[in-house]
Amino acid sequence: MTMRVPRRTLFAFIGPAVFALLLVGVVPLGFAVWRSFYYFNLTKLSESRFVGLDNYAFVLTDPVFWQAMGRTATLFAVAVPVQIFLGLTIALVLHRPGLGFFKVLARLSLVLPMATTYAVVGLLAQVMLNQKYGVINQMLGWIGIDPINFIGDPTNAFIGVIIWDIWQWTPFVALILLAGLSTVPPEIEEAAQLETKSNWVVLRHVQLPYLIPSLVAVLILRTADTLKLFDMPFTMTRGGPGSATEFIAILIERVGNRQFDIGMASAQSIIMLAITIALARLYIRFFYREV
Amino acid sequence: MKFKKQVSVLALTAGAAFGMSGTAGAWTLEEAAKPYAGTELEVLFLDRPGYAAAIKMLPEFEAATGIKVNQTTVPYENALGEQVRDFVAGGDIDIALIDLVWIGNFAENNWIVPIDTFTADPALTDPDLDLADFFPLTLNAFGGWNGKTYGLPFDNYSGLLFYNSCMLKDAGFDVPPATWQEVMDTYGPALTKDGKYAYALQSKRNETQSADSFARFLWPFGGSFLTADFKSNLNSPESQAGLQFRQDLMKFMPEGIVAYDHSEAVNALAQGDVAFITEWSAFYSTLASPETSTLGDCLAVAPEPTGPAGRKPALGGFSLAVAAQADDNEKAAGWLFIQWLTSKANAGTYLELGGVPARQSAYADPALAETYKFIPALVESWQEGVPEFRPRFAEWPSVTEVVQEWGTKMMLGEVSVEEGARTIGERMEGILSQAGYYDGKKPLAQ
Repeated sequence: MTMRVPRRTLFAFIGPAVFALLLVGVVPLGFAVWRSFYYFNLTKLSESRFVGLDNYAFVLTDPVFWQAMGRTATLFAVAVPVQIFLGLTIALVLHRPGLGFFKVLARLSLVLPMATTYAVVGLLAQVMLNQKYGVINQMLGWIGIDPINFIGDPTNAFIGVIIWDIWQWTPFVALILLAGLSTVPPEIEEAAQLETKSNWVVLRHVQLPYLIPSLVAVLILRTADTLKLFDMPFTMTRGGPGSATEFIAILIERVGNRQFDIGMASAQSIIMLAITIALARLYIRFFYREV
Repeated sequence: MKFKKQVSVLALTAGAAFGMSGTAGAWTLEEAAKPYAGTELEVLFLDRPGYAAAIKMLPEFEAATGIKVNQTTVPYENALGEQVRDFVAGGDIDIALIDLVWIGNFAENNWIVPIDTFTADPALTDPDLDLADFFPLTLNAFGGWNGKTYGLPFDNYSGLLFYNSCMLKDAGFDVPPATWQEVMDTYGPALTKDGKYAYALQSKRNETQSADSFARFLWPFGGSFLTADFKSNLNSPESQAGLQFRQDLMKFMPEGIVAYDHSEAVNALAQGDVAFITEWSAFYSTLASPETSTLGDCLAVAPEPTGPAGRKPALGGFSLAVAAQADDNEKAAGWLFIQWLTSKANAGTYLELGGVPARQSAYADPALAETYKFIPALVESWQEGVPEFRPRFAEWPSVTEVVQEWGTKMMLGEVSVEEGARTIGERMEGILSQAGYYDGKKPLAQ
């Protein structure tokens, strides 16, 4: 005999969490949507006025916005596959039987990059990549390579952001995929390993199907993280040199916090949200499979 | 006899009355502050030597007046945003800290109170305020807007030439470069060799690019941001000459100069990697301290080199003004604090503690130059500066973002000087047009 849980009990349990989510998530989102239909500049409040879709029209035809989106897309296209490849490799190594102490050490050290604050990562990068005094150039000097101008060269600065993003989030991908690998029934894995010596065959036909949900989760989370990446490149390069590392979140911060054009920054943010939701839906539609 | 006695009594009475009124009328801070004892003031400070000096002086002010000054230290990059949001939301800030490029913004939004509100009240204003004692350039540029004075100069800078006299001597120079052309033709080639460079120009993509890099090579060459009718002047022959000169000078600068902010440029000189820099006067203490610099007695200071249009050194600084959102007690208390902190009487103390006052009388003693090598160059620079070195109107936050982006693109070679200047000019005119400068809605004030 099943007992029906009274509605009041249900609301009492989930109500506070829903209320908090509404307050922290939905209300600010609603405010941003509302403001996006206005010319609203904090230093020109007397000129605030309803402009309809003008902000959206400007953003959608603004080359600066799309250039920033392009840089963000390039960062995503390069960094995330590398993170998945390296993360999967680490997960597969840690999934092997044996290597007890090494595994404990590896799991602990994987947490360190993820636990480091984004802004600190950017500051670390700025110091370590300094052309004259940075430790990276010093180590390169030990093997006969001349100091590289990482921060002051547009291409090198972009590569530096990619490398630092890979360093920080590969452990996250590895831990998610390691959790995914733990869902593979051990008897099926053992049977497959008895049938073939090829690790690739075991991975492709036995382990990967169980990793699909984890991979989709990684894709969605890393897409959202990359689209809103701000702290690390901001402290590392402030979007420079020139516009070389001005990603979309840095552009929005500049428009909203430095030019104080809240209406325009809101429109940019809503467009970014729409792109993120569209990508998430695509991942689920084309990649997600129930195991 | 009776008459003489009457006159004597009258004279005595008059004399006593005059004497009493003279004593009663002597203004003191303690007396003026009595009605406001217990008032608390909120102000933002920066993490710079002048503010550290002011913080050390606070206990004396608080003991004399009973007025508590609560300061919050923020990075420069956050100071404008913090104050704008506070003023828009009707927050707590009672004293506005105003970079010279923010004064148009703050004044036009009525966020700050003109000082004549307070100077009209003899109970609140020190008779020895002596506004004429401020360097006129600093009072005008840091505290004035559209004919009114809002703030008193507090944290004051000029661009100066800091140089390594030993490096110059080794290269055969007894004196620093007097002109930018000498830097290009003589000093640059002689001092750029063996991994060392002649000059570092901080050019990072933030206000440093606009103020320290871009503007620095406009004015000495006869250029400017705007013409008299507020159209872009960046493609004039003079402006183009200056910006191209900056481009050509890069061969004597360290690689990656576009990523250099103040700390990198100061450090480059301090560690002996470059022979000279043009930086804010406030960095003298960093360059002179053995804890942060290897220069020692090799450190020397001079005014910035001149260009074809003369010496137009970089100009920067902050004033303190009373915030309009403060209540009446806070406004009065704030005014007492501001005039005390920037007074003639306290200028010497402020200087000793690491600040740079804008009082002419503070630099009257020639012996000061022995202790503070930067003083002669600073005083000379403040005679020749340009108040609109960077336009100070309310649209500057938007304009500077354009200058920062395209100024660095020019230096990186991503666009030509002409093309970059044209793009900045077009976008700047777009911003000014939208603001109403071209249809008479706003006066052409910068």
